[in-house]
Amino acid sequence: MNTEKKWFSLNLGRKKESASTCGCGKSGGCGSHEAAPTPEKDGFDQVFDVPMSRRSAFKKLTASLMIGAGAVHSSCSVTAGDETKEKAQIDWEEQFKGNYKLMNDEEKKATVDRLVRSYELRKGDKINMSSKNAEPDVLFGYAFNISKCQGYMNCVSACVEENNQDRNSEMQYIRIHELKDGQGLKFDEADDNYYHEVPAEGHFYLGTQCFHCDNPPCIEVCPVQATWREDDGLVVVDYDWCVGCRYCMAACPYDGRRFNWSTPEVPEEEVNKNQHYLGNRLRKKGVMEKCTFCVQRSRAGKNPACVDACPTGARVFGNLLDPNSTIRWVIENKKVFRLKEDLGTEPKFWYYMD
Amino acid sequence: MRAFIKIMTVLLLCSVFFISCKKHKESDYHSVIEKIEAEGKHYKGTSISSEEYIAEKDLIEVTEGDKTFLIPERKKHLTMYECTECHAKPLAEMRDPEVLLPRSHWDIEIVHGDAKTMNCLTCHSGANMNNLHSLTGEAISFNKSYQVCAQCHTSQFKDWKGGAHGKNISGWAPPRAINSCVNCHNPHQPKFNKRWPEVFNVHKELQRK
Repeated sequence: MNTEKKWFSLNLGRKKESASTCGCGKSGGCGSHEAAPTPEKDGFDQVFDVPMSRRSAFKKLTASLMIGAGAVHSSCSVTAGDETKEKAQIDWEEQFKGNYKLMNDEEKKATVDRLVRSYELRKGDKINMSSKNAEPDVLFGYAFNISKCQGYMNCVSACVEENNQDRNSEMQYIRIHELKDGQGLKFDEADDNYYHEVPAEGHFYLGTQCFHCDNPPCIEVCPVQATWREDDGLVVVDYDWCVGCRYCMAACPYDGRRFNWSTPEVPEEEVNKNQHYLGNRLRKKGVMEKCTFCVQRSRAGKNPACVDACPTGARVFGNLLDPNSTIRWVIENKKVFRLKEDLGTEPKFWYYMD
Repeated sequence: MRAFIKIMTVLLLCSVFFISCKKHKESDYHSVIEKIEAEGKHYKGTSISSEEYIAEKDLIEVTEGDKTFLIPERKKHLTMYECTECHAKPLAEMRDPEVLLPRSHWDIEIVHGDAKTMNCLTCHSGANMNNLHSLTGEAISFNKSYQVCAQCHTSQFKDWKGGAHGKNISGWAPPRAINSCVNCHNPHQPKFNKRWPEVFNVHKELQRK
């Protein structure tokens, strides 16, 4: 087994192997460290070639056996059609695939192709799923004008439609807080589910969502490394690797993460078929999800859906590394602030005023 | 003993020096701003472009100060342009109650500034109907109507050029296309109206009861 660990294991009270902490107290994914050369490992190795207790080993084996039994049953059956066999084959391969974070480009493409085919087999409809990686020289950032937001919530509905969020539990990534003028940012007294004519007299509006922190506490606590920060600054989740422990939800100081308590439901005709593996592909019960700055759109050069939907132009999105970008102009020329800056999470989401 | 203390001091200083200078891979930057400054220094552009998203839009390129960007073409999309097709005679003659002309622009109400500051002729030119004009009477094309607005709304103009005001219509990647003032604001009633929010989360409401 390779010495380079691909997953996280608890190291309570024991000495860290190859501890590499720095003076600023940040450890793990602060992003500036070079990607270690990842050893080639297939999904099987990633699942089984780990130190595990007898109980978890049995658990994994049982789950795999169920799928295996299904696969054997349908492949040996004379009555099962080719499609059933193919479906079983896909299920088998999906079960043993590795963490997306560790996949090479071919493996990423293979899993995306399987998911597309699987959707086609189940629903008889084609979707378009991307596995586009982060582009070099790109670091996404966001700015929100609290003088301009009028609380219309077009962003919220655009986000739900774009990102295939569960309609049943009305999951929303964005919250618009209605705050009283002259009282500062009192979120405990703010209303984030108002329904009256807006803008209301004597109030201003402030939107929150995932801030894509540069030093995100949520990825540190993930016991299976199912969430991480990509090189372009997006904090993403591998929905197929997430075990649903919700540690990240507890670790996030900004209420940026959402959990699927039930199987997400999106009406067939409302499914956004332009998808990304790390973005708006359909989720399952028991996994975390969150705003990805619409990775399926932003990595293609578009604005996130909320930016395009905003009727007041209160939302600015762009590349922080481009000195000519509008986001840079806002940060350099307006008076900006971020929420809970003292936590050192370094959110890439700035608020500003006219 | 003194020599020992000296040696120890030198060793201590050396170790402090080495520890503090250790280039740690984990976190070269202590803040995201530091990171942006360092990594953006040698920015060479990306392969991502928003060209394809604006291909179908009718845009014109403008340069204001050190910024060059695209805004929507306006003249072609005005329903009653060219104005001189009707405004062949001077205004005074057309307004004459003796002459019976079909009424036009009757639905336009100005809710913009007060009557002391603004009337139709603050922006529209009585003598040159096909263009707007500045406060000093210089002609301004309908395509560059933002120049009329910028005379009073200087801070908004500055923010709009930079990117803090207004709406991007191309995507974040260059080239940059943005809405002009009149694409969001009705120039005769520029204030945004009150309205009901787009969504209401019933689930959340019930959960919190």
